[in-house]
Amino acid sequence: MGMMTGQEYRASLRLVKPDVYFLGEKVKSVVDHPAFIPHVNAAALTYDSALAPEFEELASATSHLTGEKISRFTHIHHSHEDLIKKVKMLRAIGQQTGSCFQRCVGHDGLNSVYSVTYEIDKKKGTSYHERFLKLLREIQTRDLMVSGAMTDPKGDRALAPSKQQDPDAYLHVVQRKADGIVVRGAKAHITGAVNSHGHLVMPTASMTADDADYAVCFYVPVDAPGITHIFGRQTNDTRKCDCTLDQGNEEYGIVGGEALIVFDNVFVPWEQVFMCGEYEFAYPLVERFATAHRQNYGGCKTGLADALIGATYLLAEAQGAQGATHIREKLVDMVHLAETLYCGSIACSCQGYALPAGSYMADPLLANITKLNVTRNAYEIARLAQDVAGGVLATLPSETDWRDPRVGKYVDKYMKGATGVPTETRMRLIRLLEAMTCGTALAESMHGAGSPQAQRIMIWRQANLEHKKRLARKLAKIKE
Amino acid sequence: MRVALKYCGSCNPQVDLLKIGRRLAEVIARRSDLELSPVSASDIDFIVVLCGCPRACANRDEVKARAKRHLLISDESLGDMDALESTLLAAAQG
Ligand SMILES: Cc1cc2nc3c(=O)[nH]c(=O)nc-3n(C[C@H](O)[C@H](O)[C@H](O)COP(=O)(O)OP(=O)(O)OC[C@H]3O[C@@H](n4cnc5c(N)ncnc54)[C@H](O)[C@@H]3O)c2cc1C
Repeated sequence: MGMMTGQEYRASLRLVKPDVYFLGEKVKSVVDHPAFIPHVNAAALTYDSALAPEFEELASATSHLTGEKISRFTHIHHSHEDLIKKVKMLRAIGQQTGSCFQRCVGHDGLNSVYSVTYEIDKKKGTSYHERFLKLLREIQTRDLMVSGAMTDPKGDRALAPSKQQDPDAYLHVVQRKADGIVVRGAKAHITGAVNSHGHLVMPTASMTADDADYAVCFYVPVDAPGITHIFGRQTNDTRKCDCTLDQGNEEYGIVGGEALIVFDNVFVPWEQVFMCGEYEFAYPLVERFATAHRQNYGGCKTGLADALIGATYLLAEAQGAQGATHIREKLVDMVHLAETLYCGSIACSCQGYALPAGSYMADPLLANITKLNVTRNAYEIARLAQDVAGGVLATLPSETDWRDPRVGKYVDKYMKGATGVPTETRMRLIRLLEAMTCGTALAESMHGAGSPQAQRIMIWRQANLEHKKRLARKLAKIKE
Repeated sequence: MRVALKYCGSCNPQVDLLKIGRRLAEVIARRSDLELSPVSASDIDFIVVLCGCPRACANRDEVKARAKRHLLISDESLGDMDALESTLLAAAQG
């Protein structure tokens, strides 16, 4: 089996049987359930993009293991060009979906585990890297979608994993056997979890010797015994079940579709284990993953912003406000804010470097700066869009009332904007803006790839402030 | 003559490369002496390397080597469809 089309991806999901719950019900088929269809569509587009003439230059790559053409989402970066192409691919696909397409998390996980397993083996004489290469080859040749499952529920944030009252607040090894390990715990907020083929599980924080059982990294198929997925709610999620226009982005939905993954004594064979007790490598893995993931945000979020800015401009036109100077200024500000994010992602890619394993990673300082900017700029972009949209963003009557034979004519008459623009056009744009700027969509820009404080900590570590003090002393002629 | 369109990856929001590509494909389809081929085909005579910005991500030797001749489009000519059409036809015939 080689690269899959979007349809083949959907068909492949029918062959796995993950345990998925949503709104108190066990889900029979993820591919056919309205709660998941938009997220499946978004992921399917990543498959189609890798094969589409218009996008393949960015969305596909050549495997360094097999020499075959593969999806870039399963590729290990081996050059600056690879790092840059990842960012451009994310922007190009984001422009099409206007929403999260999920596969970057697993991609970043694969790249991080690739380099860190190499380094563990060098220091400890283990054989994790070789095992990982076997898995990677399979993922590449079967074009599997892998979630990146790093974030633990974390219980009391002030306590280390091993000090928690509930030992399962962080996922950990409960048993080591001849043929594998047994793990218990959970991973929270995992993007695309219910429509992936497997989970790449990684530790979420730096660890000490006391936390050795929590320093664990492995791969499991989504339907491994003992794994349960509990799908998260999103703003307006029931609209997926009872309307179309009111969804705003009916085709691709809002953010990625996140789930709590519970691991209740799950057995993982040794061939799928890539860290088990090497606690001193938990931090490098987290740092590599965080860098790779933060690098992305000026790619995908800029792609989304491209669509959002377009929607804002169209809505201004639909309301007759497009000629006003302040509207133009706001659109310019939105472009400025979005392209600033893109600058960050491109810059950290250009400043990337090779790791001992031969793979490339982005510059950590610049990647963290990029993501920290996202936690602000995405909100400011949304604020400007909401400003231009007007209060109707929060009060627009429903699609059902617009279609209603009794009141529909009133909705159509009073929700109309500029001459020549149908009410439906205005309503569609308002709903798209609502989907992209209200609720769940924004929180993702804040916490996805780590909360702002996590970036600040990395920036403090990376910024070399002592060097800056030396520069100042030299200019001010102060002796050391 | 078999003509292929190779896209750079289409990430530049300032240029609707997909629309330009569709228009070029229509131009090719209208001509009886030209035939649109996928980039993966082995017997391409002419390849149009269509890039949305001067960075020209698809302007690589191995891409150009796929055909006997190539035309790189990556500059301001992207904004003028008529000029682009004539350039394409002239280059294809030339
Ligand atoms: C839409 C979405 C998609 C996501 N997808 C994924 C995914 O695919 N894979 C994945 O692994 N993760 C994913 N995440 C998780 C994301 O990485 C986390 O949300 C993020 O790291 C923050 O963790 P938290 O949500 O537990 O918040 P918390 O850690 O609880 O943070 C809340 C606040 O408390 C502060 N805080 C936390 N701990 C401390 C402390 N010890 N001392 C002082 N202050 C503290 C934080 O700085 C923050 O201000 C996703 C999140 C979102 C919102």
